[in-house]
Amino acid sequence: MIDKNSQLNNEDVKIINTGCCHDCGGRCVLRAHVKDGKIIRFETDNTEETTLRACMRGRAYRQRVYSENRLKNPLRRIGERGEGKFEEISWDEAFDEVASKLIEIKEKYGNSSILLMAGAGNQGMLHGVVPVGLMLNQFGGYTRFWGAPSYEGALFASMATYGTIKTGNAREDILNTKLIIMWGWNPANLIWDPETRVILAKAREKGIRIVAIDPVFTDSAAIFAHQWIPIRPGTDAAMLIAMAYVIITENLQDQAFIDKYTVGFDKYKEYVLGHEDGIPKTPEWAETITKVPAKIIANLAREYANNKPAALVVGWGPARTAIGEQYSRAGNVLTAITGNIGINGGYASGFMRAYSSRETIMSRGRKKKKEDPIVEKKERPKPRAQDNPVDTGAPPRKYSLHKLRGGTNPASTRVHINDLYNLILEGRDGGYPADIKMAYVIATNRLNQYCNINKGIEALKSLEFIVVHEQFMTPTAKFADIVFPVNTFMERNDVAVPWLGSPYYIYLNKAIDSLYNSKSDLEICQELSKRLGLKVDLLNLPEDQILRLLTAPRRDIKSYNKMKKDGYYKVKVTEPFIAFREQIEDLENNPFPTLSGKIEIYCEHIAELNHPLMPPIPKYLSHDEHYDSPKAEKYPLQLLTPHNKRRTHSSLHHMPWLEEIEPHSVWMSSADASQRRIKNGDLVDVYNDRGRIRIPANVTERIIPGTVCVYQGAWYNPNKDGVDIGGCGNTLTNDSYSPGGALPMNSTLVQVEISPKTQMEDS
Amino acid sequence: MTQIGFYFNQSRCIGCYTCSVACKDWNDIDAGPVNWRQVKIIEKGNFPMPFVAYLSISCNHCENPPCIRVCPEKAISKRDNDGVVIVDRAKCVGNKECEMHCLKACPWNIPQFGTEDNAKMQKCDYCLERLEQGKNPICVEACPMYALDSGPMDELKEKYGTTQEAEGFEYKDKFKPSIIFKPKS
Repeated sequence: MIDKNSQLNNEDVKIINTGCCHDCGGRCVLRAHVKDGKIIRFETDNTEETTLRACMRGRAYRQRVYSENRLKNPLRRIGERGEGKFEEISWDEAFDEVASKLIEIKEKYGNSSILLMAGAGNQGMLHGVVPVGLMLNQFGGYTRFWGAPSYEGALFASMATYGTIKTGNAREDILNTKLIIMWGWNPANLIWDPETRVILAKAREKGIRIVAIDPVFTDSAAIFAHQWIPIRPGTDAAMLIAMAYVIITENLQDQAFIDKYTVGFDKYKEYVLGHEDGIPKTPEWAETITKVPAKIIANLAREYANNKPAALVVGWGPARTAIGEQYSRAGNVLTAITGNIGINGGYASGFMRAYSSRETIMSRGRKKKKEDPIVEKKERPKPRAQDNPVDTGAPPRKYSLHKLRGGTNPASTRVHINDLYNLILEGRDGGYPADIKMAYVIATNRLNQYCNINKGIEALKSLEFIVVHEQFMTPTAKFADIVFPVNTFMERNDVAVPWLGSPYYIYLNKAIDSLYNSKSDLEICQELSKRLGLKVDLLNLPEDQILRLLTAPRRDIKSYNKMKKDGYYKVKVTEPFIAFREQIEDLENNPFPTLSGKIEIYCEHIAELNHPLMPPIPKYLSHDEHYDSPKAEKYPLQLLTPHNKRRTHSSLHHMPWLEEIEPHSVWMSSADASQRRIKNGDLVDVYNDRGRIRIPANVTERIIPGTVCVYQGAWYNPNKDGVDIGGCGNTLTNDSYSPGGALPMNSTLVQVEISPKTQMEDS
Repeated sequence: MTQIGFYFNQSRCIGCYTCSVACKDWNDIDAGPVNWRQVKIIEKGNFPMPFVAYLSISCNHCENPPCIRVCPEKAISKRDNDGVVIVDRAKCVGNKECEMHCLKACPWNIPQFGTEDNAKMQKCDYCLERLEQGKNPICVEACPMYALDSGPMDELKEKYGTTQEAEGFEYKDKFKPSIIFKPKS
């Protein structure tokens, strides 16, 4: 315990405004109390009810900064890859070795042999991926990937349906709705920007009805919702399509809206009514697939259609499935046929939402024109100095919506993010665009956070060289040849932008000097660039000057100095954002940025791509790891790996204050547990052909039978038999991806059994 | 005499544990069994109709605290001006010497003992140093849901009503805990 009397003397304590910006939807204020160069405690935003309050993850940050497990010096591997045996070396040695390896590999194999494994672990504008990307671009480029694990299915559906990723309404507008449907959306646990949770509580207090559809009785379902509808994972599209059936057959659709603003309703109707394939998509049809009683499906459909405006929030989790974009498309289409778009209290779910500060750059200095959204081939921008020479100017990806502007850039040879292990293992012989020899790993615990860890290990072991920027010896860092010890948010300056476009910025003021022998990502790149003979002008400026340059295009920051002083900048928004209000009020002059200029229930662009698993209208499709696939005979349980309340992905996993909260376990229903003679707290193995994890069972009434749930982000930790006793869900997941780019984390079949007694000593 | 207390809106609590972690950070309490502010989960019912609520609770600074009466060392006292119940750890003889009468007497298991040898009692002191600066306890200012409040009990009752029971919390009239609830609804 700190001596209380010394704390009372506040003259010695300086308060530095900084923050927490890992990869959740929030960027939150932390006011660090610093005494004698050490952070002794935190406060948060306590100015007014503004909801930039940090959650427990941020409040525990002191244990990250001062963790005994922080990497203190540069490391060179001396054991086998993954063994975790390293020797400490000097920064000069580390820089020289990485620089000479980069030069050697570039000369021998070309720039495309360098794979940038970049992640989202640091959401600051300056540190993390940004300086490394700039440096490697100047160095001649690198092979990079496309696709994001969180939302790629939702993003694809948003582009296909609306032609943009800027969708939804300002969060406070949800108070204007009559019905909120939280579909696969758990903002109580994951931070979907800090204000969302409070506004949902207020909506409930106001008497707005809230329904949650989720295989798990989440905290959001428990606290916000009036009704929980448990659903079998991966079948959400079937329920949404059956809701469309009820709405169409009972003539509840908003036909005037459909006629004016959408294309392809008739084709969808053909499919829904069964005229296309002979199967009417009735609630009874959906009941057998989804396990949701037909009556409940029909009632929700009527409720949604009859209570306008209503907000259907199509969460991202159900789209993290084998053909995930179909669910997102089906949700978007249901919103369209009920006319809940472009109006207060409605909600056009897509990808992003609301006021989006990052959009202020994109729209700068150009007025919207009708022809803007569509980029003709000849108009595709020429390579610029900051572009990556390896993939700039390459032809579009085969199944990308390349005629549309925005979304995931299709103009590249990049490999899907969940396909990197095959890329490494197979290279050009396997049809991939490069032969990878080296991985540059920054701001990611890659091995842990992407599917199929055991294949990942094989891939990482096959590389000639791996360099990792890290703060801790993560499961990924164990595979490095050189590890650079990186400092934390508290030891450098940065600016963070909320990824959902909430109207504020966080300025993270440096609170303390770098601990041990750590350096910032920027400092590392500055030193490396010198050794690589690069003149990356931007990187060689002081932090604050770079931040001024990076934030200059953001016209909504009226005062950089105020932002720096306060540690945040709240943008005054005169009118809450309503996506597509312009289109709905005046379609002629404001067409949707799709090819047709309307909301695309039927997407001609998708039809042209002609992929059997990507129909131009949303459909419910099975796949080879679905509950009804042959694989389910051996592995009858469906695994979910959703976000956990006390981690941000794998960041903050080992903070003792957080680790003691709701310890890591596999959630399983009492029905599934008793069938296997599993009792609450028993150590169990969850396994399939890809791997095996060993963790305690949490036998609960909060999950639909047939489904088990392992919260993602726990650190992979193999015992001598290769069993992951850390309990990382990605030991079991499949490294495939849907044609639209969705990662199939929630399409994993497993079996669960009591762990063998002889293995008990391992844990 | 003013009696300070807490308000807890159980309908809003999402079980995020921010209050509890902020308390540990502010008071420099290690991870482990000591929790000046605890978050408890209340789970009832069966699939598909389960019930879940959270209870965030710290010392209730009772008007008539049972812990004070039973402490053989008179280590626990109640401040005259604001009713904060405090423990003088210099007087507490520790859980090896004493049978933790305070813990046994408290219906809500508020007195906390660490894992150290002969651990002395510790518990929420209503962030006295913050109170003296006119600030709310750190848990109140931490809650991202604005589900906690603090202040004189008469003011809290005026603002939030007089409900003193919630899921997982049983009111004891003989002790008069200084807490107001909006129970889970």
